[in-house]
Amino acid sequence: MPLETEILEAALSLLRGGQATFHGFALAQRIRAESGSRALTAHGTLYKALARLEEFGLLTSQWEDGAAVEGRPRRRLYELTKQGAQVAEQALAEKAEGGARRPVRAVPGPA
Amino acid sequence: MTPERMAKLVARWVRFYTRNLPDHVARRRLDEIDADVQDHIAHERAEGTGDRRIALSIASRMVRGLAADLSWRRRSTTTAIRRPAIRVALVTACILLVPLVAMQMTDEVDWGAADFVLAGVLLGGSGLLLELAVRKPRNVAFRAAAVAIGVAAILLGEADDAPGLVLFGLLLIVGTVALTLRTAQRST
Repeated sequence: MPLETEILEAALSLLRGGQATFHGFALAQRIRAESGSRALTAHGTLYKALARLEEFGLLTSQWEDGAAVEGRPRRRLYELTKQGAQVAEQALAEKAEGGARRPVRAVPGPA
Repeated sequence: MTPERMAKLVARWVRFYTRNLPDHVARRRLDEIDADVQDHIAHERAEGTGDRRIALSIASRMVRGLAADLSWRRRSTTTAIRRPAIRVALVTACILLVPLVAMQMTDEVDWGAADFVLAGVLLGGSGLLLELAVRKPRNVAFRAAAVAIGVAAILLGEADDAPGLVLFGLLLIVGTVALTLRTAQRST
């Protein structure tokens, strides 16, 4: 699955969990948890994909409020746009449909 | 290696592949990845992960993303060059349309091909210079060159009795001074 789709799905799942905005590292953690991978997404791959999604109008972003930061660098906060949420929902629906259609692999029995 | 030293190495790599990109693009990338790495370190430490393992994990994220970083740079460079060039070309073309239209209406304006080429080079060159001055606000050379062209245009216009050239020189100098003041205001 392309990383862009994974990002949109993770963002939608965060949104449904009541978290409208997210930052890069939290997203990398979410993707790792959902994909069952051991490694976090690489910096270059993650931020390139985020930039593309923003360019396509599926995400928006802004810098975190300076006052909210305590002894750490400001984060760039991303948010799904209406269009982004629609695309993510569509991707999830297609995934569910694909999973339902996939034939159950026959387990070879004893000869 | 400690996670902090690895974070510095990542920052150095980001500075390397964002060199010569517009300031705001490079700054955003650098700040965003710095925040990510600091979050990464804080999270792993809270989980009780050892420093060596944290440093290795950060290094792995950097190395696995090298190709994507370079491809992002190529894309950003193309956008950074193409957009200002199109903007300058459009403004130059619009300004050159004025004498072209005037020539159809009155005999008092009589420009030859050489006049259009000269005006195009002067306007386009100055426009690109101003674009560079905006992209590199800390570099004084581009602004100094713009002012020098403005002064030269005023002197030539005075000597050649060409009020248009004098006006162009004045506008170029005023524009450069305004840009310098805006940059100074933003940096305070």
